[in-house]
Amino acid sequence: MWWEKKARTEAPPNPEPVPAPKPTPTVETPMPEPIAKPPAPPAPGPQQTFLGRSVAVRGQFSGNENLLIEGQVEGTITLEDNTVTVGTNGQVKAEVHARQVIVLGAVTGNISAQEKVEIRRSGHVVGDILSGAVAIEEGAYFKGSIEIVREGEHEAARSAAASNALETRP
Amino acid sequence: MSPIKGHADRGRSKDAPAPFTSRALEWLWQYLRDDPQPHILDCGPVFQSTLNILLRRGSKIHVGDMLTPLPPDNPTFWAREGKKPVFLTNEFLKTIPPVPVGSLTIIFGWHLLDLVPHEALEALVERLSSFLRPGGVLYCMLREPHLPTGAEIYWWMESLTVLGSTADTKRPFPYPAVTNREVERLVPGGNVKTFLTRTGRREVLGIK
Repeated sequence: MWWEKKARTEAPPNPEPVPAPKPTPTVETPMPEPIAKPPAPPAPGPQQTFLGRSVAVRGQFSGNENLLIEGQVEGTITLEDNTVTVGTNGQVKAEVHARQVIVLGAVTGNISAQEKVEIRRSGHVVGDILSGAVAIEEGAYFKGSIEIVREGEHEAARSAAASNALETRP
Repeated sequence: MSPIKGHADRGRSKDAPAPFTSRALEWLWQYLRDDPQPHILDCGPVFQSTLNILLRRGSKIHVGDMLTPLPPDNPTFWAREGKKPVFLTNEFLKTIPPVPVGSLTIIFGWHLLDLVPHEALEALVERLSSFLRPGGVLYCMLREPHLPTGAEIYWWMESLTVLGSTADTKRPFPYPAVTNREVERLVPGGNVKTFLTRTGRREVLGIK
């Protein structure tokens, strides 16, 4: 029936995280000094798991949808075909493997992304990055190493990095 | 904690020296022309421009700002119980990011050797050299003895061979200038190349 067909329309697979609309200032008053606007956290999309501020979890994450973290996560996050976003309040102590990783909060641990790692102005990352591309905004904090890998070299580079990590300091 | 610096942090003003072509970097990239992926440690503070240029060169980059926490009044690195303050070398060496031994092609130390007390230089250079592979290069900028101030000047890459810098500050260098002979003694093997600049500084390459 034509009305049944219409009811079956599906949401597009793996939509990108949509940034929340910035609030429009209603009153314009001169400010004594400029105040930096905090970056707007991306809003959770229809196929995105959201870990809220009050959530603290420990363990291994894997799956097939995007993840937005505003809480605390410890362990391993493996979402090879998806985007992991660590929001401004997010605190992650984990190895992160994803297609794309966006950091506005804090990450301690190695990040591996097939496509891109973005560390935004408010982001704080301590760990090694292995990715097809890296963008670090001015003002972000980063301590660790960055290696750019081409498509197809990702797996080999990841295992090499893991074995290198065994031998660090003299 | 030192964030990644960008154009807004550069403080380029009319007092800032004009970017200059670094003969040391020209030599360095020619020396490494056959290395498609040099492994690099930037001792910081790290500029976005430098990161992007080195990543485009195909480098693997280790980042850790060792310069910003170095002011002589930082209590983390000084024991002041005795009559004379003692520099806690081991505490300072902990600021070096974890790097596999013998893996690095280049270490960009910038003004690091000018800002560390002389009694800690040997341990510092020994530790940094341990990270270099054979043939690896320690790049440092050293002030000439006649240049008393500019301890807070920071450098970044405008291109692989052109360096820009912040305006020369009036903060004096805290220790006497490191001589070429001292560098030759510090670098294992003593293989050192020195390039003079017009900014009152020497570019020094210590080759392992």
